[in-house]
Amino acid sequence: MIKVTSDKLQPGMRLAKPVMNKAGMALLGEGTELTETWIARIQDMGIEGAIYVEGKLEMEVPINEMLAALEKRFPSAHGNPRMEMIKRAAEKHIRKLYE
Amino acid sequence: MSEVIESKILRHRIENIGSLPTVPDTLRKLSRIMEKPNVSLTEIAGFVQSDPALTFRILKMVNSAVYGFPGRIASVSHAIMLLGLNVVKGLLLGVSVFELMQKAMTGLYEHSMGCAAAARIIAQKKGLREPEEAYVAGLIHDIGKVVMALEFTKAYEGALAFAETEHISIMQAEKKFFADNHAPLGGVLSERWRFPKKLTEAIQYHHQPRSAVLFPLETAIVHLADILTKARGLGFSGDQIVPIVDDAAFDRLELSEEDIIDVFQELEGSIEATQEVLQQ
Repeated sequence: MIKVTSDKLQPGMRLAKPVMNKAGMALLGEGTELTETWIARIQDMGIEGAIYVEGKLEMEVPINEMLAALEKRFPSAHGNPRMEMIKRAAEKHIRKLYE
Repeated sequence: MSEVIESKILRHRIENIGSLPTVPDTLRKLSRIMEKPNVSLTEIAGFVQSDPALTFRILKMVNSAVYGFPGRIASVSHAIMLLGLNVVKGLLLGVSVFELMQKAMTGLYEHSMGCAAAARIIAQKKGLREPEEAYVAGLIHDIGKVVMALEFTKAYEGALAFAETEHISIMQAEKKFFADNHAPLGGVLSERWRFPKKLTEAIQYHHQPRSAVLFPLETAIVHLADILTKARGLGFSGDQIVPIVDDAAFDRLELSEEDIIDVFQELEGSIEATQEVLQQ
């Protein structure tokens, strides 16, 4: 999922989350493929918030830094099977974010 | 050595939150309404609707896709009907204290939103009937920290710095400055605001889930949600290291490694939900 502002929308993008107006009502549902017409309407509505479209998120922090920070947070894991399991799950999850 | 702030003083300040000058207007008013016995739906809805910024945030919150009702709740009364008064009270409190949270500790709001999302998905996995209650418990589990930092700013800054230099948890560091830590103080607030015992116990014992006698499952959920949010490194709660999980609480929940990965996945969504709620 990628977050964009309405001026960055391109035809062919697919909504990963509904587009909402200020009152929180959904205007276009999740999964809608954007056409030029839809994009123009979204822009006309003056939607200021972020719009979520499908795609892979660019991670801001390099994976090595993420994993090093994880290591530092977990001095408590050593020899504690429950904490080791939590740490292992966190590491798998982080690696998956970068795939 | 600085003096430890006595329990009596701490509790007195906390119990008078509705009249403290340092507390922002919205929270003070909300607090007074919540303290009333048998507050009505109309009263709560009326209060919220009188404040456009609050209305915006609370509707964003209930409608955020992550919360489970994407784009379907258009009014505060509708939200109360669907979610129940206690959940709406909790969400209101959550959105009203977020500025205070950021002031108390940069990152505390992200931590709280993360913990809320984690608690909800664990509650769903355990088949709890109202996972939104777990969400709210996660959202306000650290409310004690907010009030401590607001009312005893110097002492709380001292505790934060002490936790960092000594590599200890914020809860241990609080002991050097305060007679009570944030968890029982949060419990006092929860009682004061007439939240159900389920919520109070989860807040009060989120660091010692074994003490929960009435709602051990709900308390274990918030305890683990807090730890998993810290494990993911989401937001900041005053802890530099992940606290050790309580064996009994962890075993009670019987989560597999895959379940825990699902919780982490849910946390990614909470990052975006937080940004949406904070947009205005």
